Amino acid sequence: MRAARIGIPLAALGAALFIFGGLMHAADTSIPIYFPNSKLIVKAETFNRATYVPIKEIIEFMGVPYTDALALETLTLRSGNSRLLMTKNSALMSYNNQILLLPSPILREEGRWLAPIEFLTIGLTRLTGTEFRYRPGTPRIFADNVDSPELEMNAQTLGPITRLTLRCSVPLKLDLKRDNQRAILAIDRPALDPVRERLDHRDRMVRSIAFDDSDGDAKIILDLTRDVTDMRLTAADNNRVFFLDLLTKKEPVTEAAPPPVPTPAPAAKPDVIPAQRKVRVVVIDPGHGGMDTGAKSASMVEKDFTLVFARKLRTALQTRLGPTVLLTRDSDVALDNEARSAVANNNQANLFISLHAGYSANKLDDGSSVFVMKDNFGQAFTTAAAGGRDQLFLPWYLGYRIHHQASVSAANVLQEELSKAIPGSKFAVRTAPLAVLSSATMPSVLLEIGNFNNPVNAQTLADDGFQKTLADALVNAILRFSQSPQAAN
Amino acid sequence: MPRHIKIGLIVFGIGGAIAMGFFVDIVGRVRSMVNERETEENPFKPPAQPLYAPTDPPMTVKIFFPAASGDSLLVAEDQTIFKSAEIANRARQILQKIQEGPGRDTMLAPLPKEAKVQDLFISEQGTAFIDFSDAMATAHPGGILNELTTIYSIVDSLTYNLPEIKQVKILIGGVEKETLAGHCLLLLPLEMDLSITNVIPHEEKTAQLK
Repeated sequence: MRAARIGIPLAALGAALFIFGGLMHAADTSIPIYFPNSKLIVKAETFNRATYVPIKEIIEFMGVPYTDALALETLTLRSGNSRLLMTKNSALMSYNNQILLLPSPILREEGRWLAPIEFLTIGLTRLTGTEFRYRPGTPRIFADNVDSPELEMNAQTLGPITRLTLRCSVPLKLDLKRDNQRAILAIDRPALDPVRERLDHRDRMVRSIAFDDSDGDAKIILDLTRDVTDMRLTAADNNRVFFLDLLTKKEPVTEAAPPPVPTPAPAAKPDVIPAQRKVRVVVIDPGHGGMDTGAKSASMVEKDFTLVFARKLRTALQTRLGPTVLLTRDSDVALDNEARSAVANNNQANLFISLHAGYSANKLDDGSSVFVMKDNFGQAFTTAAAGGRDQLFLPWYLGYRIHHQASVSAANVLQEELSKAIPGSKFAVRTAPLAVLSSATMPSVLLEIGNFNNPVNAQTLADDGFQKTLADALVNAILRFSQSPQAAN
Repeated sequence: MPRHIKIGLIVFGIGGAIAMGFFVDIVGRVRSMVNERETEENPFKPPAQPLYAPTDPPMTVKIFFPAASGDSLLVAEDQTIFKSAEIANRARQILQKIQEGPGRDTMLAPLPKEAKVQDLFISEQGTAFIDFSDAMATAHPGGILNELTTIYSIVDSLTYNLPEIKQVKILIGGVEKETLAGHCLLLLPLEMDLSITNVIPHEEKTAQLK
């Protein structure tokens, strides 16, 4: 009897879950559909983890004639001679007598016809010729050839300030408003496609940063802490790049926001470091790592040498010059070349230095090289591919071209300082098609030191005193470069 | 029969069955290894064609090898190949000379010994696609200068001697690789660069003679 008392309610619960489980319903969200000259906001609903959109609202907005047969529980859409027939609770549709399959069934809830979002591309595009684009998991749809420029957001803590950087391929108009602990950055541009919906950044100034266009108006919402007393919005690159700095009164800010200038990276960099020093963020890349050991000497592998030396250089730089110094890797991990230059690009570095040790088949060789990217690498190929037309988008590996002259200047300064600090050693400036430098959009150099195949040279490289001398020479070179006019170009 | 003997026999039987299964698997593995080796050797490979005919005249070519010392990274050495009718066969002969290495101690071998040319193809646009075996990357000793000289030894030797070849695209193991050994980009076809050699470009030489 007792078993029956427990079993029957359990069975009833199981049956209920079985029957109604198919209609597990999550919260509604507003999704804007951007058409070339208009937009439609629809209430999307989630059933069984599938996003459903209301069919009738969309087709009425597009002016597609339809017949809603209540008795037959079918919805028929027409366009010219074509016909698209849908039936309640069925994932099958009939398009001109051809069967189309949706990933989830079509629903009819309180007089509303709801279809999985894939209905737009599988069914409606065939019927009307209007193409729909959406990225899975993002709450917006772009219809036809509507221009949807990508919006890139990045937040970072730069000492006393927190900076939100926005980049877009088209000029934007921003309006900043603050309502107590909430700041809203309204963007006067419809149909933006953010790379990330929200940033995983949290520090003492900001709790969350999220993009929102659920009402059709694009904006970035920042949830601020009480520490934020002031905010400063700076534009650069003809309003394609924006820096929003969150400030607190406790920290003095010595430099005013610079006016908008055509070059994005180094121009708008308000910081607490003196104005004449243009290198404020240095990214050091210890070459190799993880499974990729690099060259080997009798006592050391290249990946360990570069990491040890990079840490020493970071300390020397921070002690003497005080810039923000970031390492592409601070442990024994493998990184591909693109990820290394991405660290520099994403942090708006003013200088990128990749560190390597040399290996020559000649055991007597002890020369070192300062490399810059090979001039005009990929240019002929890219120009040929463009067919003489102006290219709007360049391949990523041509990023080096923006600051190539500045890279050459940095390499020359490095060569001079190294030759001064280590007399008797050769430091040649060379060019090569180097992967790690190709997509770095700031002055960037690669230093290949010594020869691991030369036992004496390898021993010298491992010496702590030698590494300190080398680090000091590099700091001197970076200081000289940061004061030169090329650093801003 | 006592119960413990029965249990012992059952356990022994199960153990024997597992061991048999393992043994069978080993046999299978050995068989598959043998089969793999047969596949690698490719029994259906067509017989190698000669790279030149006996009647082809000889021609002197400059083969660029890494310099053991000095300011130039690559130093040219004159060698003789035969002027075969097909440009691809001349290119193959030049690659053979690069693989064989230099004749003097002042130069170094540009390619790892294990590296082999698997295929070569020249497009109508004058791009030579060369497919090297995986050893070209895996057996490379590393170092940027080493990598640079390996690549430009091939590119310069082919483009300097065969004007029909405008650029060289290097493939490794039949596929496109981002870099040869982690440093130098191989994503695009590479053009002749004599600035790292001890040889003056043809055009400059002509200008000097005028």
